[in-house]
Amino acid sequence: MTLDWESRENTDFVYRRYNVIVEGPAIKPEDDKDVKKNMPPKEPFRELALAVIHGDSDRAREATKTALASTPPLDVIEKGLSKGMDAVSALYAKGAYFLPDVMLSADAMMVGMNMADAKLGKAREKKGTVVSFVAEGDPHDIGKNLVVMFLRSNGYEVVDLGRDVPNADVVSAVKKAKPVMLTGTALMTTTMTNFHHVSDMLKKEGISLPIFGCGGGAVKRDFVESYDMGVYGVKAFHATKLADAAVAGKTWKDMRKEYPKIVGEFVGEYADRL
Amino acid sequence: MGIFRYTKLAYREPDEMLFGHAKFPVSAHWGLQFGAGYVVPEVKVAPEAGSERSKEVMVKECESIAEQAAGRAVDIGLPAFLLEQEHVYQQTHFPDWGGACTRAQADVLERFHNEYGIKCGLRQTVGDTRLEERGGLRGTDYDNEIAESIEQCAKNGASDIAAETMGGKSVLDYGSMRGDIRAILFGIGVLGSIDMEYFWKRAVRICSHYNCNPAGDTNCSGANSVMYIAGGLLGKDFSHTGAALARAISAARSLVAVECGATGPLKDCGYENTIVKAICGVPIAQEGKNAVCAHADVMGNLTCQVADVWSNESVFHREEMGGPTPGVWLQATGYEAALMNTAIQTGNAKILRDLYTLTDKYRDPQGTLLAYDNAFRVAGAIVEYGKDPYLRARAAALECSKVITEAYDAKKLMLTRFELDSLNKYTSVLEGLPMESERFIDECMKEYPKRIPTFDPKSYGL
Repeated sequence: MTLDWESRENTDFVYRRYNVIVEGPAIKPEDDKDVKKNMPPKEPFRELALAVIHGDSDRAREATKTALASTPPLDVIEKGLSKGMDAVSALYAKGAYFLPDVMLSADAMMVGMNMADAKLGKAREKKGTVVSFVAEGDPHDIGKNLVVMFLRSNGYEVVDLGRDVPNADVVSAVKKAKPVMLTGTALMTTTMTNFHHVSDMLKKEGISLPIFGCGGGAVKRDFVESYDMGVYGVKAFHATKLADAAVAGKTWKDMRKEYPKIVGEFVGEYADRL
Repeated sequence: MGIFRYTKLAYREPDEMLFGHAKFPVSAHWGLQFGAGYVVPEVKVAPEAGSERSKEVMVKECESIAEQAAGRAVDIGLPAFLLEQEHVYQQTHFPDWGGACTRAQADVLERFHNEYGIKCGLRQTVGDTRLEERGGLRGTDYDNEIAESIEQCAKNGASDIAAETMGGKSVLDYGSMRGDIRAILFGIGVLGSIDMEYFWKRAVRICSHYNCNPAGDTNCSGANSVMYIAGGLLGKDFSHTGAALARAISAARSLVAVECGATGPLKDCGYENTIVKAICGVPIAQEGKNAVCAHADVMGNLTCQVADVWSNESVFHREEMGGPTPGVWLQATGYEAALMNTAIQTGNAKILRDLYTLTDKYRDPQGTLLAYDNAFRVAGAIVEYGKDPYLRARAAALECSKVITEAYDAKKLMLTRFELDSLNKYTSVLEGLPMESERFIDECMKEYPKRIPTFDPKSYGL
């Protein structure tokens, strides 16, 4: 036999490339209707937002430099850069943007934000503080890095403890930073159990806060909800919505009950909570 | 001292490659051979969560996994099987744990072999507990404990030692999250290859003191991470054409273990193994449709094409409706291996091989790359620049790009705009890279150390 199909029609009962079949027409990101709705109409904010949307750090640097000459740093961040990042989140959520696009946009946003912060000359008030860690014994940190990126680019101070973090160090960091939320990620079955230990250790210290637990393979809702304070995070970008909810006073019990409402979308893993 | 580098392929043409047959078969304990004319089913089960609370519990857990796998193998009449234990952190971090678990499992397998004559093997895969940001990859306590763990496993009855080293991961992660193909090439192709040489020279030396094969090392932390992030057809985190390029690059890196003396069977999750086998002819383990418990890949049949060991990748140790997972998943891989072995014995092996391949060859660009005829082409590109780890990794990526582009132009493979755009973008970057390793490394060293806080150049002698 040969290693090729005689015709592509022969393959119809073997596979279908649904991603090609459903792909829509190419449009510029700024022409997307949800992006258009929220784009700042005036300069210099529009250019700042566009630099972020296009993930162009050099453009963000130039746009920020220009904007800071005539605009207060806080406005540069809130009315320009952040609007761009909101658009990026919307594009990612609807599948028009892919992860590398989001990361490049976050990098561009951080370039502008750091310049604005420097001009401000004092610590900018953040929405809140979040502590992030990868479970003890686990070296896999892509998930944690995503969570940190989403939180930082949405205005949170993040204490990033890194990977393979001893449980005692997590508890110390929580005591010191007094975060609104703790995020833990793990890939392996035998490291995810540390979430449980961290929860117990925090309880002993009289601390209660949501622990946004997520990760690959093994980390599922039933496991995360098997210990107090655990809230199963389905997608890394949900961390920002959960943190917003924590700032607004929602407890970990509320988050478990209202997860789809809080993140604002259908979430199969919480289908019983719709 | 430098290592031997492959500059020629092990096979004259792709059609010589077949499941169950390797140019250089390997013998293991308890009557088992790999690549010697039959396919060996493999099962791998992750210890139950909580079993890491003490050494005693972990040893019992591993013993029970071996007992349940061997029991099912005999129950359904399997002639042979390979049991793999991928270490959890504690089994490598405390080498005596790894040794005791190996001993418990080896005793079970030996008992079944003696009683029933069943051929068995025991692969122990040590964990890579090193972190660049924790003192570097070389000479730390973490590094030393890996060597000790390998020795404990080899001494206590492992027939094969494997690893999934993490060299270059900090740079690779940075690249994969930003679609930076140069960082991916630097992370996997250069840094990964440097660390592999450091790691495998030592691993081979340790294994040589015992009756134990230094099996090899897959790019699980690199190309598999990218494949995992890329996800299914509707995944939106990384392009599948980019994942195919990362996979081609990883073949140049995974080859290094064999160049240091590893013999195979190379580990299952190395989807790049088809390319590596074409170069060095060692037996390979593969995974696909019977690893759905662990991975949702898009080439579940294709990966059978030239496999010598057929694996389930990994599953939690728990109860399924069909019984405990060690038995259930060995049954799944065992029946697939039986089909392949039937095809071999009846003279139909090449037909079955091609059916496996064609099923998935155009389901996804990753399958297009790994179809054995195309993998052979990429292998050829690697050996053309075989003496230079950077140039051969770059050549692998460029040949992969050609393979996918040709299939797309011939309207055999459909690509989304995103997949096509990213392939064109990455190819253009790759084509523009220097033809001298030193220059490429210098350019990368000017950029990535300042961008990636966890990247430790000293870990690679840079």
